[in-house]
Amino acid sequence: MPNGMTALATLTLGGSQATVTFSSIVGTYRDLMLIIQDTGSGTEGLRIRINGDTGSNYSYVLMAGDGSSASSGSGSMTELIGGLVYSASISNSIYHFMDYSATDKHKTVLSRNNNASVNTVATAQRWASTAAITTLLVYPTAGTFAAGSIFTLYGVSA
Amino acid sequence: MAITKIAQVDVGAGGAANITFSSIPGTYTDLMVSMSIRSDVAENGTLILVQFNGDATDANYTWLRLLGNGSSTFSSTATQLQGGFATGSTSTATTFGNSSLFIPNYAGSAAKTTSADGVSENNATAAFQTIWAGKWTGTAAITSITLKSGGGNWVQYSSATLYGISNSGATGATVS
Repeated sequence: MPNGMTALATLTLGGSQATVTFSSIVGTYRDLMLIIQDTGSGTEGLRIRINGDTGSNYSYVLMAGDGSSASSGSGSMTELIGGLVYSASISNSIYHFMDYSATDKHKTVLSRNNNASVNTVATAQRWASTAAITTLLVYPTAGTFAAGSIFTLYGVSA
Repeated sequence: MAITKIAQVDVGAGGAANITFSSIPGTYTDLMVSMSIRSDVAENGTLILVQFNGDATDANYTWLRLLGNGSSTFSSTATQLQGGFATGSTSTATTFGNSSLFIPNYAGSAAKTTSADGVSENNATAAFQTIWAGKWTGTAAITSITLKSGGGNWVQYSSATLYGISNSGATGATVS
Protein backbone atom coordinates (compact mmCIF):
# COMPACT_ATOMS: atom_id res chain seq x y z
CA MET A 1 0.00 0.00 0.00
CA PRO A 2 1.61 3.25 -1.10
CA ASN A 3 2.16 6.32 1.01
CA GLY A 4 0.68 9.76 0.24
CA MET A 5 -2.92 8.59 0.12
CA THR A 6 -5.79 11.05 0.30
CA ALA A 7 -9.45 10.09 0.52
CA LEU A 8 -11.39 11.43 -2.47
CA ALA A 9 -14.86 10.00 -1.81
CA THR A 10 -16.47 7.31 0.32
CA LEU A 11 -19.89 5.70 0.48
CA THR A 12 -21.45 3.22 2.90
CA LEU A 13 -24.74 1.91 1.57
CA GLY A 14 -27.74 2.48 3.80
CA GLY A 15 -29.84 0.17 1.61
CA SER A 16 -29.37 -2.09 -1.37
CA GLN A 17 -28.12 -0.41 -4.52
CA ALA A 18 -27.49 -1.66 -8.04
CA THR A 19 -24.51 0.53 -8.89
CA VAL A 20 -22.00 2.88 -7.26
CA THR A 21 -20.53 5.69 -9.33
CA PHE A 22 -17.45 7.76 -8.62
CA SER A 23 -17.46 10.84 -10.84
CA SER A 24 -15.69 14.16 -11.25
CA ILE A 25 -12.46 12.50 -10.14
CA VAL A 26 -9.78 15.16 -9.94
CA GLY A 27 -6.68 14.62 -12.04
CA THR A 28 -4.10 15.91 -9.58
CA TYR A 29 -2.81 12.60 -8.17
CA ARG A 30 -0.54 9.95 -9.67
CA ASP A 31 -2.59 6.81 -8.92
CA LEU A 32 -6.01 5.85 -7.60
CA MET A 33 -6.81 3.16 -5.03
CA LEU A 34 -10.36 1.82 -4.81
CA ILE A 35 -11.17 -0.17 -1.67
CA ILE A 36 -14.40 -2.17 -1.58
CA GLN A 37 -15.97 -4.38 1.06
CA ASP A 38 -19.27 -5.81 -0.06
CA THR A 39 -22.06 -8.30 0.15
CA GLY A 40 -24.88 -8.53 -2.36
CA SER A 41 -28.19 -10.04 -3.32
CA GLY A 42 -26.89 -13.13 -5.08
CA THR A 43 -23.74 -14.89 -6.26
CA GLU A 44 -22.20 -12.43 -8.64
CA GLY A 45 -18.97 -10.98 -9.93
CA LEU A 46 -17.80 -7.43 -9.31
CA ARG A 47 -17.30 -5.26 -12.38
CA ILE A 48 -15.93 -1.77 -12.97
CA ARG A 49 -16.44 0.37 -16.05
CA ILE A 50 -14.20 3.37 -16.74
CA ASN A 51 -15.50 6.65 -18.15
CA GLY A 52 -18.64 4.92 -19.42
CA ASP A 53 -16.64 2.86 -21.90
CA THR A 54 -18.77 -0.17 -22.85
CA GLY A 55 -16.46 -1.38 -25.60
CA SER A 56 -14.22 -4.45 -25.55
CA ASN A 57 -11.36 -2.28 -24.43
CA TYR A 58 -10.43 -4.12 -21.22
CA SER A 59 -7.95 -7.00 -21.05
CA TYR A 60 -6.85 -9.09 -18.12
CA VAL A 61 -4.56 -11.78 -16.82
CA LEU A 62 -5.35 -13.34 -13.48
CA MET A 63 -4.37 -16.05 -11.06
CA ALA A 64 -6.79 -17.50 -8.54
CA GLY A 65 -7.02 -20.04 -5.77
CA ASP A 66 -10.34 -21.43 -4.60
CA GLY A 67 -9.09 -23.34 -1.61
CA SER A 68 -8.47 -26.56 -3.49
CA SER A 69 -7.08 -25.69 -6.89
CA ALA A 70 -5.05 -22.93 -8.54
CA SER A 71 -5.90 -21.42 -11.89
CA SER A 72 -4.82 -18.71 -14.28
CA GLY A 73 -6.57 -17.06 -17.16
CA SER A 74 -6.55 -14.16 -19.58
CA GLY A 75 -8.86 -12.47 -22.04
CA SER A 76 -10.68 -9.33 -23.06
CA MET A 77 -13.86 -7.93 -21.57
CA THR A 78 -16.17 -4.93 -21.67
CA GLU A 79 -15.24 -4.00 -18.08
CA LEU A 80 -12.69 -4.66 -15.33
CA ILE A 81 -13.16 -7.89 -13.40
CA GLY A 82 -11.80 -9.64 -10.31
CA GLY A 83 -14.05 -9.32 -7.28
CA LEU A 84 -17.16 -10.99 -5.98
CA VAL A 85 -20.54 -9.78 -4.71
CA TYR A 86 -22.05 -12.61 -2.66
CA SER A 87 -25.02 -12.65 -0.32
CA ALA A 88 -23.66 -15.47 1.84
CA SER A 89 -20.17 -14.15 2.52
CA ILE A 90 -18.30 -10.86 2.64
CA SER A 91 -15.74 -9.90 0.00
CA ASN A 92 -13.02 -7.26 -0.19
CA SER A 93 -11.29 -5.81 -3.23
CA ILE A 94 -8.35 -3.47 -3.73
CA TYR A 95 -7.91 -1.89 -7.17
CA HIS A 96 -4.81 0.13 -7.96
CA PHE A 97 -5.16 2.36 -11.03
CA MET A 98 -1.70 3.50 -12.06
CA ASP A 99 -1.02 6.85 -13.70
CA TYR A 100 -4.78 7.29 -14.05
CA SER A 101 -4.70 10.88 -15.24
CA ALA A 102 -2.02 10.44 -17.90
CA THR A 103 -3.11 11.11 -21.48
CA ASP A 104 -0.16 9.45 -23.19
CA LYS A 105 -0.71 5.83 -22.22
CA HIS A 106 -3.24 3.07 -21.74
CA LYS A 107 -4.19 2.54 -18.10
CA THR A 108 -2.99 -0.44 -16.08
CA VAL A 109 -4.83 -1.74 -13.06
CA LEU A 110 -3.63 -4.21 -10.45
CA SER A 111 -6.18 -5.78 -8.15
CA ARG A 112 -6.42 -8.13 -5.21
CA ASN A 113 -9.82 -9.64 -4.60
CA ASN A 114 -10.72 -11.80 -1.63
CA ASN A 115 -13.54 -13.88 -0.23
CA ALA A 116 -12.33 -16.30 2.43
CA SER A 117 -15.24 -18.63 1.68
CA VAL A 118 -14.70 -18.66 -2.10
CA ASN A 119 -11.37 -17.54 -3.52
CA THR A 120 -8.40 -15.21 -3.56
CA VAL A 121 -7.48 -13.54 -6.86
CA ALA A 122 -4.77 -11.30 -8.24
CA THR A 123 -5.26 -9.55 -11.57
CA ALA A 124 -3.35 -7.32 -13.92
CA GLN A 125 -5.66 -5.47 -16.29
CA ARG A 126 -5.45 -2.81 -18.99
CA TRP A 127 -7.94 -0.26 -20.18
CA ALA A 128 -7.00 0.53 -23.79
CA SER A 129 -7.55 4.26 -23.66
CA THR A 130 -5.29 7.28 -23.29
CA ALA A 131 -8.06 9.32 -21.67
CA ALA A 132 -7.68 10.41 -18.07
CA ILE A 133 -9.94 8.43 -15.74
CA THR A 134 -12.71 10.67 -14.44
CA THR A 135 -15.51 8.19 -13.71
CA LEU A 136 -15.72 4.69 -12.24
CA LEU A 137 -18.97 2.72 -12.36
CA VAL A 138 -18.96 -0.22 -9.93
CA TYR A 139 -21.65 -2.92 -10.11
CA PRO A 140 -22.37 -6.61 -9.66
CA THR A 141 -22.99 -8.74 -12.75
CA ALA A 142 -26.61 -9.03 -11.54
CA GLY A 143 -28.65 -7.94 -8.58
CA THR A 144 -27.54 -5.37 -6.05
CA PHE A 145 -24.97 -4.49 -3.45
CA ALA A 146 -26.35 -4.98 0.04
CA ALA A 147 -26.68 -2.37 2.75
CA GLY A 148 -23.44 -1.95 4.66
CA SER A 149 -21.23 -2.35 1.59
CA ILE A 150 -18.44 0.23 1.68
CA PHE A 151 -16.65 1.92 -1.23
CA THR A 152 -13.72 4.32 -0.81
CA LEU A 153 -11.61 6.00 -3.47
CA TYR A 154 -8.15 7.35 -2.61
CA GLY A 155 -5.75 9.48 -4.59
CA VAL A 156 -2.08 8.54 -4.29
CA SER A 157 0.50 11.28 -4.59
CA ALA A 158 3.73 10.82 -6.46
CA MET B 1 -2.57 12.65 4.43
CA ALA B 2 -4.77 9.55 4.76
CA ILE B 3 -2.10 7.04 5.81
CA THR B 4 -0.48 7.35 9.23
CA LYS B 5 2.09 5.23 11.00
CA ILE B 6 0.54 4.06 14.27
CA ALA B 7 3.28 1.88 15.74
CA GLN B 8 6.40 -0.10 14.92
CA VAL B 9 7.80 -3.15 16.67
CA ASP B 10 11.44 -4.19 16.25
CA VAL B 11 12.43 -7.52 17.74
CA GLY B 12 15.50 -7.21 19.93
CA ALA B 13 18.22 -9.56 21.05
CA GLY B 14 16.85 -12.84 22.29
CA GLY B 15 13.94 -12.82 19.86
CA ALA B 16 10.24 -12.79 20.63
CA ALA B 17 7.44 -15.32 20.55
CA ASN B 18 4.99 -12.76 19.18
CA ILE B 19 4.73 -9.26 17.82
CA THR B 20 1.72 -7.44 19.23
CA PHE B 21 0.10 -4.11 18.45
CA SER B 22 -2.28 -3.09 21.23
CA SER B 23 -4.49 -0.13 22.11
CA ILE B 24 -5.19 0.46 18.41
CA PRO B 25 -7.37 3.56 18.13
CA GLY B 26 -10.66 3.28 16.30
CA THR B 27 -10.25 6.56 14.48
CA TYR B 28 -9.05 5.18 11.15
CA THR B 29 -10.93 3.36 8.41
CA ASP B 30 -8.51 0.60 7.40
CA LEU B 31 -5.32 -0.89 8.82
CA MET B 32 -2.20 -2.13 7.09
CA VAL B 33 0.64 -4.14 8.62
CA SER B 34 3.98 -4.32 6.84
CA MET B 35 6.22 -7.15 8.03
CA SER B 36 9.86 -8.12 7.64
CA ILE B 37 10.27 -11.25 9.75
CA ARG B 38 12.55 -14.21 10.24
CA SER B 39 11.97 -17.16 12.58
CA ASP B 40 14.27 -19.59 14.35
CA VAL B 41 12.30 -22.56 13.08
CA ALA B 42 14.34 -25.01 10.97
CA GLU B 43 12.46 -24.51 7.72
CA ASN B 44 12.53 -22.26 4.65
CA GLY B 45 9.27 -20.51 5.33
CA THR B 46 7.38 -19.94 8.57
CA LEU B 47 3.75 -18.93 8.40
CA ILE B 48 2.75 -15.77 10.25
CA LEU B 49 -0.48 -16.42 12.14
CA VAL B 50 -2.67 -13.46 13.05
CA GLN B 51 -4.97 -13.03 16.04
CA PHE B 52 -7.27 -10.12 16.71
CA ASN B 53 -8.21 -8.87 20.17
CA GLY B 54 -6.61 -11.90 21.79
CA ASP B 55 -9.13 -14.25 20.19
CA ALA B 56 -7.26 -17.57 20.20
CA THR B 57 -10.16 -19.67 18.90
CA ASP B 58 -9.04 -21.02 15.54
CA ALA B 59 -12.60 -21.68 14.44
CA ASN B 60 -13.29 -17.93 14.48
CA TYR B 61 -10.89 -17.44 11.59
CA THR B 62 -10.68 -18.64 7.99
CA TRP B 63 -7.82 -18.39 5.54
CA LEU B 64 -7.81 -19.27 1.85
CA ARG B 65 -4.57 -19.03 -0.08
CA LEU B 66 -2.84 -19.40 -3.44
CA LEU B 67 0.81 -20.44 -3.02
CA GLY B 68 3.67 -20.84 -5.46
CA ASN B 69 7.00 -22.45 -4.57
CA GLY B 70 8.97 -21.81 -7.73
CA SER B 71 7.82 -24.95 -9.50
CA SER B 72 4.18 -25.58 -8.56
CA THR B 73 1.07 -23.78 -7.37
CA PHE B 74 -1.32 -24.82 -4.65
CA SER B 75 -4.55 -23.56 -3.13
CA SER B 76 -5.92 -24.54 0.23
CA THR B 77 -8.14 -23.28 3.05
CA ALA B 78 -8.54 -23.91 6.78
CA THR B 79 -9.29 -22.26 10.09
CA GLN B 80 -6.84 -19.86 11.75
CA LEU B 81 -5.75 -16.67 10.02
CA GLN B 82 -2.55 -16.66 8.01
CA GLY B 83 -1.22 -13.18 7.27
CA GLY B 84 2.24 -13.61 5.82
CA PHE B 85 5.45 -15.55 5.42
CA ALA B 86 8.67 -15.32 7.44
CA THR B 87 11.93 -16.92 6.46
CA GLY B 88 13.09 -19.76 8.70
CA SER B 89 16.49 -20.62 10.08
CA THR B 90 17.44 -22.73 7.04
CA SER B 91 16.76 -19.87 4.61
CA THR B 92 19.66 -17.83 3.24
CA ALA B 93 21.32 -16.01 6.10
CA THR B 94 20.39 -12.43 6.88
CA THR B 95 17.24 -12.63 4.76
CA PHE B 96 13.77 -11.88 6.05
CA GLY B 97 10.35 -12.67 4.64
CA ASN B 98 8.25 -9.74 3.45
CA SER B 99 4.51 -9.53 3.86
CA SER B 100 1.69 -7.04 3.82
CA LEU B 101 -1.66 -7.48 5.59
CA PHE B 102 -4.59 -5.17 4.82
CA ILE B 103 -7.66 -4.99 7.05
CA PRO B 104 -10.51 -2.86 5.67
CA ASN B 105 -13.09 -1.36 8.00
CA TYR B 106 -11.41 -2.77 11.10
CA ALA B 107 -13.51 -0.70 13.49
CA GLY B 108 -16.88 -1.59 11.98
CA SER B 109 -19.52 -3.83 13.50
CA ALA B 110 -19.42 -6.52 10.81
CA ALA B 111 -17.12 -9.50 10.50
CA LYS B 112 -13.60 -8.55 9.45
CA THR B 113 -11.96 -9.52 6.16
CA THR B 114 -8.28 -9.38 5.26
CA SER B 115 -6.08 -9.34 2.18
CA ALA B 116 -2.48 -10.50 2.52
CA ASP B 117 0.52 -10.99 0.27
CA GLY B 118 3.77 -12.55 1.41
CA VAL B 119 7.06 -14.05 0.30
CA SER B 120 9.79 -15.97 2.06
CA GLU B 121 13.19 -15.00 0.71
CA ASN B 122 15.77 -17.62 -0.16
CA ASN B 123 18.69 -17.89 -2.58
CA ALA B 124 18.00 -21.59 -2.98
CA THR B 125 15.07 -23.20 -4.78
CA ALA B 126 12.74 -23.42 -1.81
CA ALA B 127 10.89 -20.12 -1.39
CA PHE B 128 7.21 -19.30 -1.23
CA GLN B 129 5.01 -16.58 -2.69
CA THR B 130 1.46 -16.47 -1.43
CA ILE B 131 -1.71 -14.44 -1.55
CA TRP B 132 -4.42 -14.89 1.07
CA ALA B 133 -8.04 -14.06 1.71
CA GLY B 134 -8.96 -14.05 5.39
CA LYS B 135 -11.92 -13.61 7.68
CA TRP B 136 -12.47 -13.15 11.40
CA THR B 137 -16.03 -13.60 12.61
CA GLY B 138 -15.58 -11.07 15.41
CA THR B 139 -17.86 -8.02 15.14
CA ALA B 140 -15.99 -5.88 17.64
CA ALA B 141 -13.58 -3.20 16.52
CA ILE B 142 -10.03 -4.52 16.27
CA THR B 143 -7.96 -3.07 19.11
CA SER B 144 -5.03 -5.48 19.07
CA ILE B 145 -3.19 -7.52 16.47
CA THR B 146 -0.80 -10.34 17.37
CA LEU B 147 1.59 -11.89 14.85
CA LYS B 148 2.47 -15.40 16.00
CA SER B 149 4.68 -18.11 14.60
CA GLY B 150 3.34 -21.63 14.28
CA GLY B 151 6.27 -22.71 16.44
CA GLY B 152 9.48 -21.09 17.60
CA ASN B 153 10.25 -17.40 17.84
CA TRP B 154 10.77 -14.34 15.67
CA VAL B 155 14.47 -13.45 15.64
CA GLN B 156 16.26 -10.18 16.27
CA TYR B 157 15.86 -7.49 13.57
CA SER B 158 12.43 -8.78 12.62
CA SER B 159 10.07 -5.83 12.40
CA ALA B 160 6.45 -4.95 11.78
CA THR B 161 4.81 -1.58 11.24
CA LEU B 162 1.13 -0.76 11.69
CA TYR B 163 -0.45 1.98 9.56
CA GLY B 164 -3.90 3.53 9.79
CA ILE B 165 -5.69 4.67 6.64
CA SER B 166 -8.46 7.23 7.00
CA ASN B 167 -11.29 8.15 4.65
CA SER B 168 -12.39 11.16 6.64
CA GLY B 169 -12.57 14.55 4.97
CA ALA B 170 -12.87 12.94 1.55
CA THR B 171 -12.80 15.46 -1.28
CA GLY B 172 -11.82 15.30 -4.93
CA ALA B 173 -14.58 13.10 -6.36
CA THR B 174 -18.30 12.57 -6.12
CA VAL B 175 -19.87 9.22 -5.24
CA SER B 176 -23.46 8.05 -5.44
